[in-house]
Amino acid sequence: MRSRALAGGVVASAAVLTLGWQIGAAQVSALNAASPVTNSAGSGSTSSGSATTAPSPSASSSSGSSSSGSSSESSSGSSSSGSSGSSGLSGSSSSASVSGTFDGATTQTQFGPVQVEIVVSSGKITDVKALQLTNDGGRSVQISNQAAPILRSEALTAQSASIQSVSGATYTSQGYMTSLQSAIDQAGL
Amino acid sequence: MTTTVESHPRATLRPPPAQQVAADAAVRRRNRRRRSAVVDLLTILVWVSAAIAVALYLASPGAHDLSGTAGIVTSLGIVAGLVATDLVLIMLVLAARVPLIDRVFGQDRAIAVHRSLGKPVLYLILVHGLLITIGYGLADGSSPIGETISLFTTVDDMPLAYLGLGLFITVVVTSLVAIRRKLPYEAWHAIHLLSYAAVAVALPHQLSVGSAFADGTWQRVYWVTLYVVVLAAVVVYRFALPILLSYRHRILVREVETIAPGVVSIHLSGRNLDRLGVEGGQYGIWRFWTAKTWWHAHPVSFSAVPGTDSARITVRDLGAGSRRLGRIRPGARVSLEGPYGLFTARARTAPYLAMVASGIGITPVRSMLEDATLRPGEATVLLRGSDADQQYLWAEVGALAHRSGSELFAMVGPRPSGVDAWQSADDFRRGVTLGSTFPHLMESDLYICGPQVWADLVARDARRAGVPEHQIHQERFES
Repeated sequence: MRSRALAGGVVASAAVLTLGWQIGAAQVSALNAASPVTNSAGSGSTSSGSATTAPSPSASSSSGSSSSGSSSESSSGSSSSGSSGSSGLSGSSSSASVSGTFDGATTQTQFGPVQVEIVVSSGKITDVKALQLTNDGGRSVQISNQAAPILRSEALTAQSASIQSVSGATYTSQGYMTSLQSAIDQAGL
Repeated sequence: MTTTVESHPRATLRPPPAQQVAADAAVRRRNRRRRSAVVDLLTILVWVSAAIAVALYLASPGAHDLSGTAGIVTSLGIVAGLVATDLVLIMLVLAARVPLIDRVFGQDRAIAVHRSLGKPVLYLILVHGLLITIGYGLADGSSPIGETISLFTTVDDMPLAYLGLGLFITVVVTSLVAIRRKLPYEAWHAIHLLSYAAVAVALPHQLSVGSAFADGTWQRVYWVTLYVVVLAAVVVYRFALPILLSYRHRILVREVETIAPGVVSIHLSGRNLDRLGVEGGQYGIWRFWTAKTWWHAHPVSFSAVPGTDSARITVRDLGAGSRRLGRIRPGARVSLEGPYGLFTARARTAPYLAMVASGIGITPVRSMLEDATLRPGEATVLLRGSDADQQYLWAEVGALAHRSGSELFAMVGPRPSGVDAWQSADDFRRGVTLGSTFPHLMESDLYICGPQVWADLVARDARRAGVPEHQIHQERFES
């Protein structure tokens, strides 16, 4: 029976499609539920527009853990973040004298993790390096490679994480900004 | 009216008891139900496989990023690509000569479906490439051409993907009826085999470029499994089993006999040929290992049910390839794929049997008549030829009809010009129809074999007369 096969096929296909959509939607909401931790960290200090902000006591926190060199794999999840080489932190220093390299938190996106590292010299961000960029598939790598230089130069100009996201690289941009903000927080800028 | 070739004393053959007829009918009904259930199930499976392809994508978070035109266009492009991939794999299975498909559906119909999928799949692949390039371009702010260049140069596996696209286009375009007619079969077939290469080179970009099948996802597991299963089916049924079969039966040409102008019977010898399991009406795909013929495989019907150490096929020269078959020397090695085909008693659904054959189409009718268990008066055979030269094997069919108590009619003469009719011009004018030839047409399985255009006309008349679709059996030989 043609019609029987057709009806069966349509119904079964609709069921399969619905199931797939539900699973996908559940995963998206799981990702969204996981991300507020990093998002709030980013949005919490949006006011810090410039390097002249007074140093907060939190800057001293970075002096405690100064071990993990540059390996990005060691930082797991979005909360842990190893700041490395916090050299210029001697007692009550102002942000102007902060120097060293600071790793941002690893931010999970749909297309892979994003993590950046900033190089600070005398309270000024002199370089932003991407330790990890969205890499789920060749297309993601292509996007990352296009977006990273733009995001870097924007960050160096703005000296903050309040930068424009690159169109076509929304997820990479968001991850980049979140991790960048976390690195800036580490440096206590 | 048509002429009766031979009158035979039917009165001497006693009809079987009524309960036997009823039992046969019950078996046929059950077989038919079973076959149609399997066909329906396979059809549903095709639908579901396409749905799974899309659903697996929907199940990945990336599919839910429909922010803006770029995201939507890209997603549609991905869906087109996924469905195309699924259909390409189905096409490979349909062409792989899987026994289950041949038994319930017939390899000829499977190939017809395979062929009907070609163009839609190509369109899907083109739409896939186009939409994704536009979608990516929109996202990056680059033109489709710029995006193509950037994909080609910066993304791994994309050059291979474009090569795959080129191969698919070549394969489908050379299979378009108008172009295929101009190509020698061998050239077409060689090009068609490139589809395996096309599938192979298209695979890497599916696994590496998109995020949907990223390493470690179960989407990837599903697709890789699917590829492996399809590949296994092709390797086993298309290549390994035929080789094994040919090796086991050691088939050789014993004699080539010209039985009519341009028509040869090839007598074969071999070991345990009865174990091939050939049912009357089936065909094989034959390859004759001589210097001039080995590269051409011929689908040819058995013109007799094979015995233990002998078999016979009959070929008409329809092209340069089959013409060479007439010159094969005895002793040539033969390899066989098959037997295939549902032009057999197993496909029957009705209490009576009506067979119409024209020209070389007589071969499956001959072996089916030989193989079938028939009660007297159950079968009626109509042999059709455009001239006296086409009456080969008619005497054999006459003898078989006589033996089984079947009615036999002959109709000789060219078709009328200017009218679509399968009858000879004379009989068409006289008003001979299927209904006037076959006494129980509506309760008959109608088996039609002959040139495609002619056979389609017979089938058309049968449908117009109201013969149910499942009672019409047609073997399509053009592959």
